[in-house]
Amino acid sequence: MNQNGHHSPSDHPPSVLIVDDEEMVITSLRAFFELETDFTLHGFTDAEEAARFAEQNLVDVAISDYLMPKMNGIQLLARIKQAQPEASRVLLTGHADKQSAIQAINQVALFQYLEKPWDNAQLLLVVRSGAERARLFRELREKIEELDGANSRLKTAQRRAIEAFL
Amino acid sequence: MSSNSEACAPAASADLHQMAAAGRLLAGVVHEINTPLGSILSNAEVIERSLEMLAAMLADPRPQSLERARRLVGTCQSLAAIDRVASERIRAVIRGLKKFARADGEAPRAIDLNQHLRDSLLLARAEFGSRIRVEADFGTLPEVECFPQMLGQVFLNLLVNAAHAIEGEGTIRARTRLEDGVVYVAISDTGRGMTAEERARAFQPGFTTKPIGEGCGMGLAIAREIIEDRHGGTIGCESEFGHGATFHIRIPVRRGTRGPEGPAAPGSRSVTP
Repeated sequence: MNQNGHHSPSDHPPSVLIVDDEEMVITSLRAFFELETDFTLHGFTDAEEAARFAEQNLVDVAISDYLMPKMNGIQLLARIKQAQPEASRVLLTGHADKQSAIQAINQVALFQYLEKPWDNAQLLLVVRSGAERARLFRELREKIEELDGANSRLKTAQRRAIEAFL
Repeated sequence: MSSNSEACAPAASADLHQMAAAGRLLAGVVHEINTPLGSILSNAEVIERSLEMLAAMLADPRPQSLERARRLVGTCQSLAAIDRVASERIRAVIRGLKKFARADGEAPRAIDLNQHLRDSLLLARAEFGSRIRVEADFGTLPEVECFPQMLGQVFLNLLVNAAHAIEGEGTIRARTRLEDGVVYVAISDTGRGMTAEERARAFQPGFTTKPIGEGCGMGLAIAREIIEDRHGGTIGCESEFGHGATFHIRIPVRRGTRGPEGPAAPGSRSVTP
């Protein structure tokens, strides 16, 4: 764990957020992932609660329904994107219209658009690659931060060396 | 729009209405079925896999796998319960569809109009799901002599229109009352409402505010035909732009001596457009 409460990139099983106003979808997906994976699952029927969760907890993959009360899936994924851009965003919708798909891809840089009824094997593949993608993004960010740190330490040392000579 | 106006000749109107209603409903029905279907398919896989694991445990029984076996059984039980709920949901949608599938050639019958409206509300939910709250305020009604399937189409049409008028969340209210031998039905929504021009043309065949391909502008024109010509009733609407809309339907409890093809009684047409 680092200071802001997030795990370092590689030491945790993928954290998967599932949001659907239908409890049955969450229960089914939870049963499937629990049987087949070691993922940490967080299920919400309330999009607002899910958004608040994502603003305070690490999420690797966010799977959201489209048609929900309070906010739709695209609005929810947009909030999750703002809170943690590295998280991979998946829309799982029974409302198969091209317009919402295009909107989702353009507005929230969707990782994958899936339709109900979904295929478990395909969903698993998507979540695994989404989690891997999130991990790589976080690692990349940490490396950049390390490089920045090293760079500024180097500069400080250089300045001290120059000062010592002068 | 001109082609729609031509197509609205009375002979073709029933078929067209069927097609328009079917097309609009299809998207909603697909959504309503795909969610429970997704759950059922996923559950079937998980249950199969769990049973495989249980079979393996039974073939080689060990005390330490007992707890895991219990959990697997628990999972299967909860998924089977979900399957039952999900199947019921699909059955309700299909039952509703069947009911509204064929309207032509039906004979007038005396029915419980409140129950009929309730069924329409249930089916219309396929269109909007939990996005829209439905409030039913039904008065006590005698049995009403009518063409139930045609009337069902009118209700459904008004409800689906109401749902389309509501962007995001909102409320649809359905109200029934008995007023001096006439049954009054009001369906109102908290949607975008209509401008004066839209209101004036609402019942005109071929007029639609929906994007091309989404509505053919026939729904309300045929609703008027069904209510006024077939039932000797009236249909009208009131609306203010930005403040929702209410459709008023009045039909006599006992139909007159006119048959379904008979001319409308003088003065039975609504004064509202």
